[in-house]
Amino acid sequence: MSNFKKETKILKSLKDVFEIKGSVKSDKRISIKADKKNVSSILLFLKNQKGFIHLNHISCVDWIEQNEFELVYIVWNPKTRLTVMVHTRIKRDEPVMENIDTIWDQANTYEREFREMFGIEFPGLIGAKEFILEDWDNIPPMRKDFNSQQYAIDTFSTRPGRENAQNVREAIQKRSGEEIPDFAKKYSRD
Amino acid sequence: MSILDLKGLLVPIGALKQMGKHPHTINFPDEEKNISDRYRGFHHNSLEDCIGCGNCSTICMNEAIDMVALAEIEGGKGDSGLRPRVDYGRCCYCALCVDVCPTGSLNMTKDFIQVTNNPYEFLLTPGKDNPEAKEKVSFKADLEASLNIFDRVPMRELDPGERVKSFAEVLLGYNEEEARREANRCISCGLCTEACPVHMHIPEYINAIAQGKDDEALKIIYDNNDLPEVCGKVCTRRCEDVCAIQVRGEAVAIRWLKGYVTETADNADLIKQIVTPEIREPNHYKVGIVGAGPAGLTAGYYLSLRGYDVTIYESHKDPGGMVMYGIPKYRLPYDSIQKQVDYMVKMGVKIHYNTRVGKDISFQEIYDNSDAVFLGVGLQDAWNLGIEGDDADGVMSAIDFLGKINSGETVEVGKKLISVGGGNVSIDASRVGRRLGAEVDQLYRRRIKDMPADWEEIEGAEDEGVHLIPQAIPTRVIKDKKGKVKGIEYVKAEMISEGGGRPRPVPIEGSETIIDCDIIIAAIGQKADYSLLPEDIADKLKMERGKILVNDNRQTSISKIFAGGDAVKYGNVDAISAIADGYYATLGIDKMLMKKE
Repeated sequence: MSNFKKETKILKSLKDVFEIKGSVKSDKRISIKADKKNVSSILLFLKNQKGFIHLNHISCVDWIEQNEFELVYIVWNPKTRLTVMVHTRIKRDEPVMENIDTIWDQANTYEREFREMFGIEFPGLIGAKEFILEDWDNIPPMRKDFNSQQYAIDTFSTRPGRENAQNVREAIQKRSGEEIPDFAKKYSRD
Repeated sequence: MSILDLKGLLVPIGALKQMGKHPHTINFPDEEKNISDRYRGFHHNSLEDCIGCGNCSTICMNEAIDMVALAEIEGGKGDSGLRPRVDYGRCCYCALCVDVCPTGSLNMTKDFIQVTNNPYEFLLTPGKDNPEAKEKVSFKADLEASLNIFDRVPMRELDPGERVKSFAEVLLGYNEEEARREANRCISCGLCTEACPVHMHIPEYINAIAQGKDDEALKIIYDNNDLPEVCGKVCTRRCEDVCAIQVRGEAVAIRWLKGYVTETADNADLIKQIVTPEIREPNHYKVGIVGAGPAGLTAGYYLSLRGYDVTIYESHKDPGGMVMYGIPKYRLPYDSIQKQVDYMVKMGVKIHYNTRVGKDISFQEIYDNSDAVFLGVGLQDAWNLGIEGDDADGVMSAIDFLGKINSGETVEVGKKLISVGGGNVSIDASRVGRRLGAEVDQLYRRRIKDMPADWEEIEGAEDEGVHLIPQAIPTRVIKDKKGKVKGIEYVKAEMISEGGGRPRPVPIEGSETIIDCDIIIAAIGQKADYSLLPEDIADKLKMERGKILVNDNRQTSISKIFAGGDAVKYGNVDAISAIADGYYATLGIDKMLMKKE
């Protein structure tokens, strides 16, 4: 069992400079939580001072109950083979995040995708507004309040030949002779 | 084109440069392509394993899956008879349908090529249209990968050492958090409703619990079950036997969830306030009911909601029949029944206690004064052991034994109690014996796995120190000089299967064993006592093997008399069947009397 010497050292150096919370997740993995305004400085610090020259991935999570988006920047140091995950939360009703494609060019692609799929704005981001979707006029589809099923019903026509579909609950009810009262029906599965 | 067209001659020669390279052409015979192990191609559905719960169709965000009836599939209990059909013009191969399939019958395959003459053919029924794909299944949702939760939220219970000290309730019941968590495991398919004799609206009330609406859940439950707290504690829960989750995991705890909801309303006034049933105007029809057991109470409650003038005659001092006198209080406390009966009385049901029909009031009088009569007399007499010496002092039927204990009388059990039988009643007798301080052996003629009792009851009995002796047939009761029980002799049996039926126990000669004991409790079945009926009515009432014959409306061969509960051919000798009889008799009586007008 390693005592995470290298990992702890990186974490400490980050904590010395920035106001962050963080922990060593497992072997070679460090996870930190930072305020939105510090993210670009942390990433620059990691890239220029600590050798984390590679941006692995950026991902986004919609925490709808908490009214927040979470952005996770994953960077990697090829020499020490350490990974740092920088987590930050932004407000869902004010989804603006600093553009970091000046640090890593490839961040541009991720950010364009977040702009389209989550509706997060990156001021100064250069690139066509339309990325994957065409003529999209609904709320961004990766947001959790986007109702995919309703969208499919509204957008696509029903293929002929599907009329004989049955509802399982109704089929069983008919067979057994059960009578579901009206006040209970809203709890039935559709 | 001249013969000197050099280009035409040289170009084919240029193709020679490809010689020696690996060809890109399709090989013959067809070479299997190297496809990844978890490839998500066309679906395959094992039609025999599928139960038609429709979870795949519900989860599909593209509305690509329909549930359709297939000619070769006949539904039954635990199978809706429908099977999924996929619209491949819509399917995006996300495999969510596979992840939520409770039985694991729906999988995805390495197949992704469809050859057809019809360019509009997109609808395929997996398993029916591509039976050969079974060999190519690649994407499966095994128990770990499935999105269903197969483990039940455990029920907290008293420690076995504590239990035998008193008649305190063994199961402690779900708390709110546990109930919500358990309710969330339900996939709302509704297969359970068909197995329930009274067809309770199970998915609806479980959904209401999951959403935190306990009041609504109670209202839905009371729609066709007026003794839900009894059912929440001691129901034989056939619903759980056909639960979709039960195929690969533990069934949703439907019974305990019902128990949880009923306990949120802890007095009759509160029940009335929550349930607020629709009560019709009095219609001046009179209905007499014999027996305040589950069947009689149910008929009484629902008839009085429909405006009938209902009177119940009960020979005991308390309501509930077998549920009150036959089920020990550690499983079903006194208050549970009393609370629900109090509520029924508030809704207009009249109950005359300590009134034995045939003695305190004649059946003829009730018959003449009522527009309809409901018989819910149950099975009051127990079968004797039918072996030498079974008349000894200290041989008792479980019904008498439990009845005495439940009415607060004392029974001298001595040091050693032998209980005979393998049903819930004999397990009850054994566990009561432990609580009274006796050592208990239970004899059963078949194997433990053949016992008709609930597995929870069997486990509970073993935890409490009941010693089960399976494959033991009692042969003789040994008496002392005063005629009191001294011991019981039994032979060991071996199980022999003949033909298709279940294995039969056959005594092994020379294996006679004697156990010394002070009391023997026999629970090997009960029979009805029809002595309350006048002769001319008893003659006209059609019976079969000691049980009253009724039609779907629970109407007997005498049109004015309806019957239900254990004494009826329809009944399956449990509380929920009796409740169903009471409920359907209500509909039958209503139909009959309303037609007159």
